[in-house]
Amino acid sequence: MTRTLMSCCVALLLAPSLALADTRIDERHTLAAGGRIELSNVAGKVTVRGWDRNDVQLTGTLSDGLQLRQEKSANRVRWEIEYPRRNGNGGATLVLNVPRSVELLLSTVSASQDISGIDVRRLQADTVSGSLSAAGRSGDSKLNTVSGSVSARLQTPKLDVNTVSGRIEAGGGVSGDIGAQTVSGRVEVDAGRVQRLAVETVSGSIELAAAGLAPGGRINVESVSASVTLSLPRTVSAQLSVNSFSGSINSDAGQVERPRYGPGSHLDTRLGGGDGDIRIQSHSGSVQVRLDR
Amino acid sequence: MTTHDHDSALLARLRALSSERSVPADGWERLSSRLPPREPPSAPAADGNVVALPMRPRRRWWLPVGAALAASLAVYAVAPWRHAQPGMPAPSALQLQAAAMTEQYQQAVASLPDGRAPEWQPALHELDESAAQIRAALAQDPRAPHLLGQLKRTYALRLELTRQAAYAAESGLAT
Repeated sequence: MTRTLMSCCVALLLAPSLALADTRIDERHTLAAGGRIELSNVAGKVTVRGWDRNDVQLTGTLSDGLQLRQEKSANRVRWEIEYPRRNGNGGATLVLNVPRSVELLLSTVSASQDISGIDVRRLQADTVSGSLSAAGRSGDSKLNTVSGSVSARLQTPKLDVNTVSGRIEAGGGVSGDIGAQTVSGRVEVDAGRVQRLAVETVSGSIELAAAGLAPGGRINVESVSASVTLSLPRTVSAQLSVNSFSGSINSDAGQVERPRYGPGSHLDTRLGGGDGDIRIQSHSGSVQVRLDR
Repeated sequence: MTTHDHDSALLARLRALSSERSVPADGWERLSSRLPPREPPSAPAADGNVVALPMRPRRRWWLPVGAALAASLAVYAVAPWRHAQPGMPAPSALQLQAAAMTEQYQQAVASLPDGRAPEWQPALHELDESAAQIRAALAQDPRAPHLLGQLKRTYALRLELTRQAAYAAESGLAT
């Protein structure tokens, strides 16, 4: 009698754990060169790694109740983790191995994205509150979050990063055409030679550095209350224009001028041959231009 | 004595006057001593070679023209801002655009369902605060086009995220 009772108790204790068991997945698909990989998940974590194979692999575990939905063709594979209506059991932990020269599109809500070792034609990664870290090579990179932070260590000629409150940190060989927009998130960019660098924020501070400005290149920075620091080499050739309504301007070159009446200050000067254009506008944030890079 | 006799006597006396009279040498002194004292000038004396001109009665021909012009300008410039307080400066073109944009944004956001997805809420709040900050900055500096651009970007982002939050709440995408 006692033995039967104990067996029942053990069975009752094990039942929930069996019911909530994770589901393991292991999917592979051979993709044509330049094909597209799409992965969508809500919660958990997504890890992406590049490898020297032609096929793409998705492995990982899904919490109870989650299902993998997939669409495959020669040029495209789409994996989506479907969640039940009322999900409170967790998310999916996924690992995606991707070949070279593909297009990679990742989308999550709270799941963080850790991308490294890739060498892709195009990377687009979107998340809402998850953090986003991307390293490797990409022909065209677009990274978007809402509140999640972004760390981009990418060798890419084109980078566009957008957040609302998430912090942006970009470096590791980013150059060429760079755009970064936040509302309150801090922006830090350490770039190589830039053709276009456009940064906008409302209140997140901005710290930019570039190894050089391509001939005819443009740097445009706009802030409402955030401070702006721009570091460039002394050899840079550009027309520098800085305007601030109530913030201070501090520059290694040029003279700050203030109107005889009313608020505001501005600085206009020529750096080197004056080939490119550098324009910084701030309402109340301080602006600092250093020629010490 | 008739009137004719009176006139003849007057003419005779006039003819008896000498044809030329010289002005006496002390004429001005004698005249000025009989004049009433002059009032001090109302404006301070000018320095250097500036000469204070005597006050002349001003012509008031411009008053009706000026009044008509002022009235027409007031109707043209102030009428769209009926609620503006007297003494406030006229809004700049950028402020007018910002006001129109804010009105359109408010209508658009009111038409969207209220998404309660938790992941989006801090950002929506952040965007509302940022929009208010930009509007305040625009009130301080009404001729800064970059602020209008920031406001436009903030409203567009707020609308997009409101849509996303509503969709996420509807489809169970929120965690």
